Amino acid sequence: MAQGRKGKLNYRCPRCLMREIDMDMLYDKDLDEYYCLRCSFTGNEAKVKRLNAQFREKYRDRQNRITEF
Amino acid sequence: MAKFYLNIVHRPEMVPEYIQKEAELGKKEDLTRGSVLQESLDIFRIQQQLAHENGLRTTIQMTYASLFNSEALAIAKNDHELYGDEIGLTFLGIQCKEFREKFHSKELAIWLFSMEDKRKIVEEVYGKFQEVFGFIPTSTGSYYMDAELVNYIKEKYPVVKAAIATCWEEGPKAYRNANNSWYTLLDGGPWNPWIPSKRNIHCIASNKEDDIGIVAIPHLSRDLMAVFDGPGSYYGTHPQNILRGMVYENGEIPYFKNIVDQYRSMHKYNRGYAYNMMFVGPGWMSKSGRWEADYALLLKSYKEGMAYYGELKKNGDLEDLTMSEFADVYRQDHSYNRPECTLWKDILYGSKRQMFWFADPWMRFCLDMNQGGAMVDLRPYAAKLLRPCGVGTSANQDASYPFLVQSLYRSGFFTHYAGEGAVKSCKISYGSEQVDLCTCRTKASFSEEGNTRIVTLDPVSIEFSNLTVSLQTIFRLDEGTGQIEITRKIIDSTDPGAEFLLDEYITGCYGTTEYPEDLSGVQLCLNSEKHNDSIFYEYKCRENEIREVQRVRAIVPQVDALIEMIPDG
Repeated sequence: MAQGRKGKLNYRCPRCLMREIDMDMLYDKDLDEYYCLRCSFTGNEAKVKRLNAQFREKYRDRQNRITEF
Repeated sequence: MAKFYLNIVHRPEMVPEYIQKEAELGKKEDLTRGSVLQESLDIFRIQQQLAHENGLRTTIQMTYASLFNSEALAIAKNDHELYGDEIGLTFLGIQCKEFREKFHSKELAIWLFSMEDKRKIVEEVYGKFQEVFGFIPTSTGSYYMDAELVNYIKEKYPVVKAAIATCWEEGPKAYRNANNSWYTLLDGGPWNPWIPSKRNIHCIASNKEDDIGIVAIPHLSRDLMAVFDGPGSYYGTHPQNILRGMVYENGEIPYFKNIVDQYRSMHKYNRGYAYNMMFVGPGWMSKSGRWEADYALLLKSYKEGMAYYGELKKNGDLEDLTMSEFADVYRQDHSYNRPECTLWKDILYGSKRQMFWFADPWMRFCLDMNQGGAMVDLRPYAAKLLRPCGVGTSANQDASYPFLVQSLYRSGFFTHYAGEGAVKSCKISYGSEQVDLCTCRTKASFSEEGNTRIVTLDPVSIEFSNLTVSLQTIFRLDEGTGQIEITRKIIDSTDPGAEFLLDEYITGCYGTTEYPEDLSGVQLCLNSEKHNDSIFYEYKCRENEIREVQRVRAIVPQVDALIEMIPDG
């Protein structure tokens, strides 16, 4: 298998992120996938982005400007 | 008139860890790599430029490494002369070739050195600063400045008046968030500026004798709800931290302005005073991006943050000060006993939850309205615990201030297994039924009567099998007493003749982490006019009771703390 390197962006593992652990992933260019040294996650960029979008869903006010305090 | 003060701090960190790691991928370590030094300086220059374009002044905190770089020195001197920026000195960014040669250490964190090394480093970095600038800087900082370190700095350089002294609520949560690699174990300090005690930097000084001689500033202004439960480095006035927490959508980050505005609103609780601080290291604006955010988004987020502060200033809603200027203003405006209060509302999860935070020289505590106003965090500042950290101390890396209650670390209401977790709440009983107010969500409002701060909770409706009762809780906080007066009022009942029993309780402990500590030796006391009784904790599940009790007391010698409850009425 190819040597793990940094990808074009330094994606964190989305599974570890779900439990609020910032864990950088390595990229395998032969398999076109990212992998996590901690939790064994593997996935391509599209999968990482899909899971990151899920992570954001907990922030229901992430798009709202709140001005009343 | 309300005052909203802002400190913007920039540092020319010549070898930012993240950019350095990026540059050395597949190569050996080289602290003098030219590309890293240049990129770091470019980012520093951009940060300064963005502040100035928006009419804002900054405090430039020179790193030890930058004191050897003529370009960094020239930028600082120029911006001081041209824009009135303050030139201070930080203990971040000490690592460089010169430091390695002199101290033979790869340690990044000033608070983790031995006291002997701390003294040597202080003398070296202040000496070098004075050599290149010709004066002693009056502001300093790091992610954490322990009291022993600050006392030494004040002894050697009495002109120092301000320091970035903690990162609010960076403790076990921040450690875990960084995959157990980031040693900012610093829980338990105030969230807004304070005058620290000589004995412990987290504690607010009680009086002039206890005053350490600086105004302390927390690193960043953080979300007082999200950071209580989540990583400190996701939710604060640090645009790239917000990107790290992924609190944005399609490149838009309204959350930054929401935090700023909630901090602005704190004047309602603090006699017209409010504060904000922004301090972003160059490593967060790396040209190669940071985690999922590319450089364009990193830059955009910083630009928008500065633009918002600039807009507030133009509208007369913000006053930008340097750190030392702020220290002077703070001391003019604040007495030692005056508490810092905040009724924080959720701006992230859409829950409408509120938390009330309070800090004074006696204690810091938090009430959670989602749990009927239960106290979910309590730090006994009255103890002013001597707790040095760093090599050669028993605390070593753990620089947090101990809690007596921390409901997230020690489970709080409803533990998964048997037993009760750490929380201060109240149970109401009717016949054989009992309800804990932790289960009664409510809202609160804040008011003042003279020197008493009042938190009034909306009444909660409690349903027993054959009646419903409405109960209201009011907290009164008399300035300068170290006392909390809690009133529980039954304001309505479907059976006006019914009698209820109130169990006002605290399940306490002590510690700085999630892991249990040895409670042996903790003393629980009951006092009445005729009887005094006490139990020394021995893990034997003993109970005691007394009629016409005048006070109950817990003495926790491990953290030099005494807490007592006095019934009235």
